[in-house]
Amino acid sequence: MLKVCASISLGLVLGQITSHAQGYAPAAAPARPAPASAGMSAPVGGMFESNTFLEMANRAFDPSSDSMDFENGSFAWKGRTFNLTSQRAFRARFERFLLASPTEEEESYALLMNDVLQRLSVANDRSDDAIIETWEMLFRAARFDTDGGNSTIVANQVFNAWRIRKEMRGEAMTQRELADVRRYQQEVVANRALMLEKIQEQREKDSVRATSGNSGKGKKTDPGALASEGAFRALELAETEAKLIAMEGQAALTGIQAKLQMQSQIVAFLVQRRYQHALVLSGFYQLLFKGSQQQLEVGKGELKSFFPNTDMVFTVDMMAFVANEAITDVNKGVDAVNTAYAEDRAIIALERLQETFFLGEYMPELNAIPVDQRRKLLDLYRDMMEAVELAEAKDYNGVAQYAERIALIAKDFPKMRVLSSVETAKSMSDMAVFAASQYRNLGDIDKARAELQQAIDIWPSNPSIREFQQETTKLATAGSQGVQIFDDLYKRGDHRGIYDRRMDLGFALAEDTARRPLLMEVIEQVSTIDLLVAQSAEALKQGDPYVAWELLAEAAKFDADDAPMNRARAELAPRVADFVVYLDRAQRQAEEAQHAGSLAAFLAAQDIYPASRMCREGIERESSALMAHLSQQTEAGEE
Amino acid sequence: MPLLPVKPRKSASIWSAASLMVSLFVVALTSGCGDKFSDLEVLPTESYMKKPGDFLGNTYTIRAQIDSQVKWEKGVGRILAVLPESGGARLPVFVPDAVGGNLHIGQRYKMRARIEAGGLIYVESLRKY
Repeated sequence: MLKVCASISLGLVLGQITSHAQGYAPAAAPARPAPASAGMSAPVGGMFESNTFLEMANRAFDPSSDSMDFENGSFAWKGRTFNLTSQRAFRARFERFLLASPTEEEESYALLMNDVLQRLSVANDRSDDAIIETWEMLFRAARFDTDGGNSTIVANQVFNAWRIRKEMRGEAMTQRELADVRRYQQEVVANRALMLEKIQEQREKDSVRATSGNSGKGKKTDPGALASEGAFRALELAETEAKLIAMEGQAALTGIQAKLQMQSQIVAFLVQRRYQHALVLSGFYQLLFKGSQQQLEVGKGELKSFFPNTDMVFTVDMMAFVANEAITDVNKGVDAVNTAYAEDRAIIALERLQETFFLGEYMPELNAIPVDQRRKLLDLYRDMMEAVELAEAKDYNGVAQYAERIALIAKDFPKMRVLSSVETAKSMSDMAVFAASQYRNLGDIDKARAELQQAIDIWPSNPSIREFQQETTKLATAGSQGVQIFDDLYKRGDHRGIYDRRMDLGFALAEDTARRPLLMEVIEQVSTIDLLVAQSAEALKQGDPYVAWELLAEAAKFDADDAPMNRARAELAPRVADFVVYLDRAQRQAEEAQHAGSLAAFLAAQDIYPASRMCREGIERESSALMAHLSQQTEAGEE
Repeated sequence: MPLLPVKPRKSASIWSAASLMVSLFVVALTSGCGDKFSDLEVLPTESYMKKPGDFLGNTYTIRAQIDSQVKWEKGVGRILAVLPESGGARLPVFVPDAVGGNLHIGQRYKMRARIEAGGLIYVESLRKY
């Protein structure tokens, strides 16, 4: 009963594990034992094989280049780090590119942008008219969809700088006027102070004369009124001074603002991989601002993340250099993709294309990749992504199918490595299921459960797991009826029937000390019969029917009523009829104690098959019996 | 070459006839004519193999070659497997110590044998031939 309960428990646990593995039941956060050590060679919970396969699958199926790190969302290029965004977003854009076809509009746009860049070159005409004409070309470029409105941003930035410059010219005039006013006011204030001083001196002289007898004569000036006017003029001067300082500050601020805005936009274009626009804006910047203004004051944080390993001073020229380098690299990348594809190295072509695409996503140079090639690389890309997902889901059959498909598209795909890993993983899972069956049959439920968990971890959709489940359920049902079935079969002598139900009965009689030895004996007996029948069939295949017969005769000693053995004997008997006749006769006469007749029959049978073991043993046995009998007769005669 | 006429010699022919008669008599004596084997039937081995019990108590003569010695017991005798001259399978025969002397494999013997209980071929006497 305990056994039945245990088996039902295993069945329930199995069902739960299976449903968890297949995502049918909510995960209940199973408490997993911690690994005993952190050694890399220690497989924990059966995940070793599974992880090995996943690592292999990621290496084989991941079409991403080593420079692309989707976990951190970054793309490393020549020591610079771009923000890669999520893999899903990148995948969508990449697939859109592979599906797109180059248009005439894109070609026109490429020509126009090249023209703009050419005009901004130092070697070209740098007159105001030429610059304005170039600036106007930006509005034409902005009308193309490919441009994404970025040329308008460049044009606006340039226009803004020009406007600020014009405003600054107007303010400079106002500043000059205010300076004149200030000079005049300074003179007025200075004159008032001088006059006040003279009046003070005159008053002191008058006071001296009055004390000498001639007081109260002559014109008098009011010194209080003069002091009030002086203070007023000084206040006016202070106001003018303040206005002038404010205006100077405003002008400086406006100039800095224009410069910073353009610098920010250059950095933004570079980080967004809009290299052509970065170059155009850099060109205008160099025209608008003098050489001493080339050092970047803004975007230092962005630049630091963009150039993680450098302490250099960032300048506009440096940004232009990086943009030019990126454009050159895109061109080289496109050439590499086309060459690899032409040489049947589709996997390499796809890896390089991803790098090149991300670096120059907005570059018209990518149109040099033919449409047909893009479509085939798209098929390859989608198949590889699908295979990765199947590998993560541990659907090994699906992985093998996709490996075959991919190998047809890409000659450089390591198909055999993938298939080999798939077979290894499947075998590991099958072995774990087999071990679980063994433990279950021995009644060790805990170990059976652990092995089963391992099998599921390695290959959740292993069909053997379902078979194991069904078998366990059947065993649990049969457990309660096992004793009665065994007793009936054993009583009837149906050993073959017991053997055929050995799994069920073994489980049912696991703790039955009386019946279990009998069961084991029957299983061993029938196993021996099966072995001998199999050996007999093999001997018959090798053209030795007498050996085959002797093996079957040996099997008959264990259970003369065994049906498969008797069937084999019946099939073989016509081929060894003469031999069998003598053997039967020998055995019959031996049973009747006709030792001499039996001996004669054995000798006759041995004449047919001299190597017969049965004959040799029969002759030895019967001759001994006969001699013993004769010896008794001799002794009796002597007495 | 002339042929000489042959003269009949009467006394020589008489002596020749007499010596022939003596020789025939000697051969008749030495060939066993009238001995203990001569009046016996040869054992029908095929029938014996099928049902030895039918021959119990009979005595036969067997001409056979010794194939192997199956068993020997001092004071009792030996069981030999012999190959009958008439063909067929080997037969087991029992030769009592008192009857057999030095018997070797490959030797041919004419045997006088009686069928005993259990179908035993009991050799009563034998003679090499």
